[in-house]
Amino acid sequence: MLKHLLPLGTRDEFGTRARTKQHLIAVIQAHFKQRGLAPIATPLLENEAVFDQYQMGNYQLYRLLSNNGRTLVLRPDLTLPIARFISATNVPLPQKFCYVGDIFRVSRQLSGSYNQMTQAGIELVGYASLKAELECLTIANQLSAELIADAVEIELGDAQFAQRVVASLTDNENNQQEILAALFDKQLPRYAELIATYQDQPIYDFLQAWPRLFGRPVEIFAQLDAAPLPASVQPSLQRLQTVVDWMQRTMPEQAVSIDLSSQAPQKYYTGLTFRGYSTAGAGYLFSGGRYDKLLTNFQAQAEPAVGMGLNVDLLTTLATKQQTSLAKQLLYFDPEQWPQAEAYLAQQPNASLSLADDLAGAQAEAQRLNAELIDLTGGVTND
Amino acid sequence: MTEQRLKIALTKGRVEKQVLPLLEQAGVDCSQVRNKQRRLIFDSETQPYEFILAKGPDVTTFLERGAADIGIVGNDILTEHQSTQYELLDLGIGKCQFVLASTADFDPVAPRRKIIGTKYPLITQRYFDQLGQDVEIVKIEGSVELAPLTGLADAIVDITETGTTIRENHLQIYDYLQPVSTRLVVNRLSLKQHQAAIFDLVDRLAAVVAEPKPKELA
Repeated sequence: MLKHLLPLGTRDEFGTRARTKQHLIAVIQAHFKQRGLAPIATPLLENEAVFDQYQMGNYQLYRLLSNNGRTLVLRPDLTLPIARFISATNVPLPQKFCYVGDIFRVSRQLSGSYNQMTQAGIELVGYASLKAELECLTIANQLSAELIADAVEIELGDAQFAQRVVASLTDNENNQQEILAALFDKQLPRYAELIATYQDQPIYDFLQAWPRLFGRPVEIFAQLDAAPLPASVQPSLQRLQTVVDWMQRTMPEQAVSIDLSSQAPQKYYTGLTFRGYSTAGAGYLFSGGRYDKLLTNFQAQAEPAVGMGLNVDLLTTLATKQQTSLAKQLLYFDPEQWPQAEAYLAQQPNASLSLADDLAGAQAEAQRLNAELIDLTGGVTND
Repeated sequence: MTEQRLKIALTKGRVEKQVLPLLEQAGVDCSQVRNKQRRLIFDSETQPYEFILAKGPDVTTFLERGAADIGIVGNDILTEHQSTQYELLDLGIGKCQFVLASTADFDPVAPRRKIIGTKYPLITQRYFDQLGQDVEIVKIEGSVELAPLTGLADAIVDITETGTTIRENHLQIYDYLQPVSTRLVVNRLSLKQHQAAIFDLVDRLAAVVAEPKPKELA
């Protein structure tokens, strides 16, 4: 076997894909800058304990041993390192952070998944107001329109809703967790067995319909209005209604849905959650939500916060598919014509300079690159 | 607006034979799959479905990667491959059972680290973890019954429908693990993207599955 092949789950990015990705990152960073967010870059390596709260799902961590025997990991997430940074420094709060960086998650071998992913995101820390969620949703709405041509649907949820409903059913925590696991994974045969215990209760009709409780807000709210839900979920539902109403007023073109049958993207979320997807993409383009207790893993004092991560790789895949490739042009010119060549370059995004010393060399180069040769010398070179 | 098409990955072989009648009773035209010859992918001209025929483990990979919207596959494979997709319906076919089996002289409580042959190392590991036993697992790709007969393993964990193959190989069953049946599984995001079409198919199939079978009627 060749020694220099890439490790499984990694890839080189070159040409159109690399260019598209760099362009998207530049647009995202410019957007963040324009909104006054503070950039932050954290190390790829962190102590493993930083990610104790992180739900890895079917992924594993890349682990390394430091000189003193401590376990280090390649970061699988970018929110927790920022929480670590806040707790370890005297950075004043509230603060709006933004970042672009790579994360590492080891997926099942030979599954076709990549283990290194690029994520961009924001963390609005120290903000208890619903305005923090609304700023995230505004950014999600604006960036999706700027970055890809596909229509993007924003799906709203609530991290506490499901827990509160099952807590009203039973005090048995194991039973609560079993119902939630079957609901979130939509293991419907198992879910039907578990809820059968409650078939004599008024909430049973709702429990039966719960796995399908996602879709257009008007339909979901109608179902919720008719269900005998515990009072403990009302604040969540009122907040959802407020956000839906606000989105319909301020971004009427934005498709919105509600999902109250799925798990929050991470277990550290405590309030409103949101995700976005397009009809063409095989994954969520962005996800986020409120996490008011995350900092208590690092320090005594909790801080209210809302964050959102964008999947730059998936955005790149969609944007690359949508690109119409312009024919490449290669400029052959005499060194004395450099200003003229530069002027041409500035006007043609698909052109580049041929660095060949003679026309024959430039013609061979153009042939190799499948490019159209533009000869500025008019056949008269000053070699 | 372009028509939304659903890609259905179907486990070829026994599952395919058992599920086609159910799909047909649910109003899905499967004539192309029935006349498949050597083809593996079928795009219906009359219905918004495209069928892909694949091996069970590959059905889970297609689903995980979003290359298929719906998968029809046994829950033995879903568990072993740690599927993270939505399991919406038990189709009630392909019913069998995981068992622990070995030769007559096998002692399940013998105080030593046993060697267990299986095609399903994860399910086997979980079973012995529940028993609090540390075992050595040997992955075997086919004819698992050979392992205890040849001395390769002390016992096997495998699936059996009637127990006939186990008995014919002079093995006996020492314990029953989880039951197995064929499930309809949906990619998480596909369910959001094609909600109405997927639930329509699921509901039609659920009605077929719930119908009393001839034996039950008698």
